[in-house]
This record gives sequence, C-alpha cells and structure tokens, in this order.
Amino acid sequence: MTSAAQSGAVAPPSTRARWRAIDAIDGTLRRLFPPRARWLIPYVFLVPAVLIVFVIVAGLFYIGDSSLRVLDRSTFTQSDDYSLTNYIGVYERTGYRSVLQRTFVGATTVTIVVLLLAFPYAYAMVRTTSSFMRKFLLFNLFLPFFLGQVVRAYGWLIILGQQGLMNNTLAQFGIGPISVLYTNTAVTIGLIQYMLPFGVLMLAPALTAIDEDIEAASGSLGARWWETLWYVVLPLAKPGLVAATVVVFTISLTEFAIPAILGGGTNDYVANAIYDAFFRISDMGAGSALAVLLILFGSFLVAVLFAVAGTGTMGFVRESDQ
Amino acid sequence: MMQSAFARRLVWTVVWFNIVFLGLPTFVILAASFTAGEILTFPPDGFSLRWYQELLGMRDFQGALWRSVQVAAICTLFSIPAGTLAALAMVRYRLRFARTLQIYFLLPFTVPLVVSGIGMMFVFGEIGVLGQLWPVGLATCAINLPFMIWSVSASVNRLDPDLENAAANCGATPFQAFFTVTVPALMPGIITGALLMFILAFNEFIVSLFLVDVRIVTLPVWMYTSIRNIITPDLAAVAVVYIAIAAVAIFVLDRLVGLDIFLKSK
Amino acid sequence: MSSKNPFVPKQRFMMPRRRFVQSAASMGALGALGAGIAPRPAFAEDVPKPSEIIVRAWGGIWSESLAEGVSRPFEEATGIAVRHDLTEDNEVQPRIWAAVAQNRVPPIHVNWDTTTNATKSALRGVCDELTPDVVPNLEGLLGAAQPSGFEGFPIVNCYSYVYVLAYREEAFPDGPPQSWDVMLDPQYRGRVAMYNDGIGFEPVAVIMGGGSMDDIPDNMEPAWEFYRQFREQQPLLGEDPDFTNWFQRGEIDVACTIISNARSAKQAGIPVSWTVPQEGAKYDTDALWVPLGLPDNEAYWAKQYVNFALAGENMETWCSGLGLPPLRPGLEGPDDLVGDPAYPQTEEDFARLLNIPTDILVEHQSDWFAMFRDIMQS
Repeated sequence: MTSAAQSGAVAPPSTRARWRAIDAIDGTLRRLFPPRARWLIPYVFLVPAVLIVFVIVAGLFYIGDSSLRVLDRSTFTQSDDYSLTNYIGVYERTGYRSVLQRTFVGATTVTIVVLLLAFPYAYAMVRTTSSFMRKFLLFNLFLPFFLGQVVRAYGWLIILGQQGLMNNTLAQFGIGPISVLYTNTAVTIGLIQYMLPFGVLMLAPALTAIDEDIEAASGSLGARWWETLWYVVLPLAKPGLVAATVVVFTISLTEFAIPAILGGGTNDYVANAIYDAFFRISDMGAGSALAVLLILFGSFLVAVLFAVAGTGTMGFVRESDQ
Repeated sequence: MMQSAFARRLVWTVVWFNIVFLGLPTFVILAASFTAGEILTFPPDGFSLRWYQELLGMRDFQGALWRSVQVAAICTLFSIPAGTLAALAMVRYRLRFARTLQIYFLLPFTVPLVVSGIGMMFVFGEIGVLGQLWPVGLATCAINLPFMIWSVSASVNRLDPDLENAAANCGATPFQAFFTVTVPALMPGIITGALLMFILAFNEFIVSLFLVDVRIVTLPVWMYTSIRNIITPDLAAVAVVYIAIAAVAIFVLDRLVGLDIFLKSK
Repeated sequence: MSSKNPFVPKQRFMMPRRRFVQSAASMGALGALGAGIAPRPAFAEDVPKPSEIIVRAWGGIWSESLAEGVSRPFEEATGIAVRHDLTEDNEVQPRIWAAVAQNRVPPIHVNWDTTTNATKSALRGVCDELTPDVVPNLEGLLGAAQPSGFEGFPIVNCYSYVYVLAYREEAFPDGPPQSWDVMLDPQYRGRVAMYNDGIGFEPVAVIMGGGSMDDIPDNMEPAWEFYRQFREQQPLLGEDPDFTNWFQRGEIDVACTIISNARSAKQAGIPVSWTVPQEGAKYDTDALWVPLGLPDNEAYWAKQYVNFALAGENMETWCSGLGLPPLRPGLEGPDDLVGDPAYPQTEEDFARLLNIPTDILVEHQSDWFAMFRDIMQS
C-alpha cells in the first residue's frame, strides 16, 4: 500500500481512492439525473424533510380517524362507524368556544407585543457598533432559550406569586398585594417572554440585510426618523416581520405548558382542552376533533398571511419571486 | 434612523426593558437554587449548596441528562441534511405546489405538541420502535424542523449562484461543487440552525412524555414529572445545570464561528 | 379500517388467548387448593425474575408511602428492583390502552389508579385478571375491595379516602369552617382551590346547590349552579401536589383535596388542617391493577407485587403513611387520625360521608368533568 504512494509521480492511494469515489458518485448522479431529469433534483432534495414531517402527519391520520368516532361509555372504546358528533360537540360546548376565543386573542396579543419588543432589540443588535454590546445582546437572547419552558414558568411563579418578588417589592412602596399569578395576564406575560427570543431571531437576518446607507440616505434627504422607519426600514424588513409573525403566532396558538403552569386551571388554551379530553375525560374523539379544528384554523391563517404578505426571507421562496 | 436622539433613546429603553424581562426568571431561578430552605423563594432563604449535593446524588438525574444529550444529538444529525437540502430546494428552484409545501412544512408548529406526541406514539408503536432513543430524536427533529429550514434559507438567499458556476467552470463536478462551495457558503445558517435544533430538542418534554418510559426518561420529562409532584429547590439546581450548559455552548459557538455569525450579511 | 385505530381493540368479542389460559390454570389451582393438597410457597421461585418492575405512582407523599410500605420490602423479599414512574395516571392510561391495542408491551407493570379510571381500563379489557391462586391476599379484604360490575378482580381496590375541606389555620382563628359554603365566601375570593376536573366535589356541589344525593346522576343542575357561583370566586384548580404548594406559598386559604395531601403538608410544618363539614364529604377508593401484554414472567411478578401490597403488614404501613383506612379489617391506623371523621372505619363513620357508586361515576364522570371544564373556562 505505502510503496505505491512513495513512487512519487502517482498520487497517494488515499487521494486516488477519493477521486474514484467522487467519480463513482458523479457517475451515479449523472445516470440518475440525465439533463432532462434535472427538474427532479429539488424534489429529491425535499424528500428527507418531507419524510421527517410525515411522522407528524402519519400521527394525524390516527387523530383524524378518532375525531370521527364516538366514545362508548360501557366499554370505553370508540365506535366502529363514523359520525360528526364530536365536531358538533365542539361547537355546542361553551367551554370549548371560550377556550378557542381566549387562545386566539392571547396568541394575537402575544404576537403584537413580541413584534413591538423584538424589533428594537433586533435593530439595536444589528446596528450597534460595539462588538461587546452585540455579543451581550445575543448572549442574553440565547440563555433563556436554553432554559426551557418549564423552568422559566417556575421562575415566573416565584416572581408573580402572592408572596413573590413582585409583591414583596410593591409592599415596600405600600402597594398591593396584587394577584397576577394564575390569571390570563400571567399566561400572556409568560408567553411573551418565551416567544421574544424566537421573534428576535426571525427578525435579525432581515434587518441585517438592510443597507445602513439607505437609512442614512433617507435621513439626509430630510426624512424624520419615523418616516424613515415607516417608508424605508419596515417595508424592507417585511420578510422578517412575516417570519416572526408566523412563528410567534403559530407556536402561541398551540401552546400547552405555560397556560398549564401559570394559568391556575381556569385560563386554558386549546392545547390544554385537548389534553383534558385525551387524558382526563378519556375521550380521544372529542380531543381529536378539537385538534383537527385548531390545525385547520392555524394553517388557514398562515396561508392567508402568506398570500397577503409573501413568504419572507425566512420563508421558502426566492427573494426575486416576491 | 439612529441619528435621531429620540429614536435612539426609545430603542435602547426597549432594549434594556427586554434585557431585564428576558433575564429576570433566569436570575431568580439561579439565585433560588442556592437557598438553604425547603422551598423555592426569592430572595433565597440563606445560602447553601445542599440542593446541588442532592442533585449529584441522584443517579436518575445523570442518566436522564446523558440521554437528553443523545436525543439532542440525534435530532441535530437528522435535521442538518434534511433542513439544508430542503432549504436549497425551496429557495433555489421554482417548485410546483410551493404554497402547499410551505403550509406542510409549518405543520410542526400548527399541530399542538400534545397532539403530535400522541400521534407519534401510535406511529412508532405501530412499527414497533417505541422504547428506543432514536425515535425520540426523530420526533424532536420533526416538531422543530422549520427552524432548521429557515436558518439555512437565510444563507441560501445570500449565496451567490455565480460561485457554483465558477466552480463548475474550473472543472468541479456538481458533487464536488456542492461540498466545496455550496456547503461552506451555507455554514452560518447550518450552524445557527443546528444549535437551535440541539437546544430545542434538549428541552423538549411534551412530545417526549409519550415516547419515553421511565427506563429511558430524558431530563426535561424527568423534571416535568418530578417537579409537578413537589417543587423543591433541586429543580432550580437542575435549571442551573441548564444555564451552565448554555453558557458553555454559547462560548464554544462564539469561539468556533463567532457569535454574531448569523447577523453578518455577507 | 377499524383495526388500524389503536382505540378500537382488535378482538373485541374474543377472549384473549392468554387470559383464557390463565383462567383455566387458575381454576385448576383453585381445585388443588380446595382439596388442600399443595401448600403454596410464598413465591414461585421457578418463575424467572425480571431485573426490575415499574410501578406507576403519584409523587410526593404517595410515592414515599408506597416505597416504605410496599416497594422497598418487596425489593428485599424478592431481589427485584422496583422503580416508580411518576407520570400522572391520566397520562399513562392512553399509553396502556394504545400498547394493548397495538400488541406491545405496556410501559409499566403495575398501575396505581383511581377506581373510576381503573374501572374504565377494566371495561376496555386491558387489565390482567388477578386471581386468588396467584394473588392469595385477595382473600379477607373488605367487600369494597371487589370492583363493582365485575365477577372477579380485574382491579383491586385498596383503601378509601375522603375529599376533605383543607384550610389554612391562620385564616380561621375561630376554628374550622362548619360548612362548605366558605368556598363561596367573598372573603376568600381568589384563595379557594379544587381539583382541576372537580373530582371529589360532585356530591357536595349537588347538595350545596340545593339538591340531594337522589338527584345524582339524573339532575345535576344544582351542582352546575354551585359551580357557576364558585367560578365567580376565581378559584385555583390543580392536582395533588399543587395544593401542598399553594398552602406552602400562602396562595390559598381553603381547598377541597384528599386528606393525604393536607396531612402531608401539615407534617411538613405548614399550618394546615382539615375538616369534614356538616354537609359531609365525598369518599372514594383507589385500585391496583396489572396491564395486559407483559411477558408471562413479568406479569407473574407484577401480580406478586400486588399481592405483597395487599398483605396486612405492608398495607398497614403504606396506608398509614397516606393516612387512609385500608380495605382490610383489623389493621391499625395512625395515631393522629383516631376518631377523625375524615378517617372512616365503622359503618357509622361512612354513613356521615357521601359516596357515588362506581358504575355511576364510570358512566357519568367524564360528562361531569366536561361540564365542570365548560363552566370554569367560560
């Protein structure tokens, strides 16, 4: 083996082996994708991701199937025949309706507040001239990310409780105590804090792509700062805004842990109602119907948003298409 | 825009508010973990390391921590090729059914995790792979895959197609060009995405709850089930382990590629 | 098509083969017993031992008492490690159901469950029948140990417990509240708590809403009326561990919870006490059972675990830890609960409490939970 390598003029066998391997792969690729089959390449590229997401979709077949079957209370099994009973149940139960409404309002509020908070943060992070500051802002963004929902929610328990940090602080000013924990407000606060890093991460690349000179030009042409913001920065940042909106809204809409821990049992989101149907009421069908409706609702809203606003840099379409 | 003093002050006020708002729960948990008392409070009740000692004594904890690392690694390994190729396909090429694909790839977010978890339990149960760690890794990959695709998409958008053409002109085969030109150019997006996937998988508990049993329990599930029963400051100590891991990971990332890598436009 | 759905059992009308074999074997064993020939050894040592068995337990005082009374002595007696799975019983239920439907090995060996939940599983046919030849300690239990609606023992009830009115002593300097109407007292607005599905409170709610026990299950309107007023009180809704936490953190003054939670909080030094108000309080039972689908030897040792739990001495330690009266006569209760109406022992004691028969609970409780949800989430 080594003697051939030492003969000088010839490349070492490891290199030759690599060439041969590359040739073989290229040859195979050429045979698999002759020029007229080139259009297949992107679809082949999509296969692994489509298959991975299909694990969820395959599970949804069970959920969809269950949603059409009615629970038999004498055997605790589901009926053999299909009906829309569970969907009618979702419509008729006032509890489900109010949970759906609370979730939608909550997710919308969280999205708006997160965008308002995340935009300046992302903007400052991108534009700051201090490398230390940029790193600090990034670090501060990533750290809570690592901390997971449960732990952060317990942090809020300590802060917002009757005898928690907030009330202790207020007491020193002679105020309170006020009950925030176990209210819808606590859920909203917890969710905003949870979603803020996602929002910043979605916005930052879009803001990075905006040339600082354009802003400067706008300013030197006499635009006030809010005019620059409104007519220059925001339109250019639209892809990031769309991406942040989609991420924050969809994840908030399907949130489970934060309402469960900070809501005190009376401020459930839809995912908690689904959980209850699955686990407390042993009624797979009722929970599945609610789940199917939530998924359709969420997907529909996203589709509308994409149609109205385009898909964003973080989206899946070439920028030139927009 | 930042030339206006008012705008500058407004931006930095919000930024400082965010810094406190983001950091407060972390800080409180960190401080509470050093309490000498029996319950989680802030300010902590005295100072001691007893809850850390307790944690070190728990073999369940160590096993769960190690399994979580494995799950997160498996998730990252699945997501890198899948996310990179998908991002290339979606951004580089004109696809049919692009809108439908976008909605499809958003399903991990529009399906509640409780539902994904139950569904995947049926799927993995049907093919008889429950009780192993790789399905958990695959599941955590599936529910977070959009983040990987998006991170890489951002890089693909900035990738100059001329680079690959130049490589081809120099005689590179498509395969060589892919690995010597395309992949290195996408590295910032791949690294950001991989880091996100790792973190999210490391913290996942709702879906995992249905895919693990007590023999292969992961750290977040272990925490969720034991915390839920009685909250003692050892939870805070676990949280601090997370913070430590986070700090190390961020430091390594900074060293490896520079923390602000995904803020760079070129 | 239906067989693809794990919630539709594959062989609904067929007796699973394994169960048939077992019941045949048990009949043979009973025959031998009747003839008084073979004295049984404590354990059949020839059945291969698994290295560990997994018992689903609640956390906190629940898990601790089970470990002390049953799991640790079982480990010592058999050398088989016992591991407690702290997943909620509600969360484990669909996992076991799916495992049985998909012919998989279930995630746990022994489930410790509310009788209502356990009965649902028994109705669904996912319980491995407990028979006196394998579980001899089924004999000599009180009648309430026998699950209602079944000939044999797909599950076995172990003890009864009372959903007491627990209160923070400092909030009631004049002594314990006499009536459940404190739950509606504006003074405690935002400081009252209940289970998040309303479990344990249904009969009290009916009575407080102006109805009587005879209204259950046909006329639950009084209960709903009570819950609607209760909703205005901004209650906290949670699970077992939450109550201890909330008392500890001073979040609540009054709660309807199982006596064990209040007692464990008190033992931890939290100034909490409990009472059975004049309207009475609901009592119920919990059960142990073994899911179908375990390898034969593991099923055997899981049943031995159940048998071990039902042995007088172990049951006494386990139930004393929980502060609950075991369903076996002649066992000693903890000293601190002697004469406590929340620790019922005699028929007289039970007569003061409220009970809803299991079959009614199984049929209606899900609907009640759903209605409770509706009211609390509105």
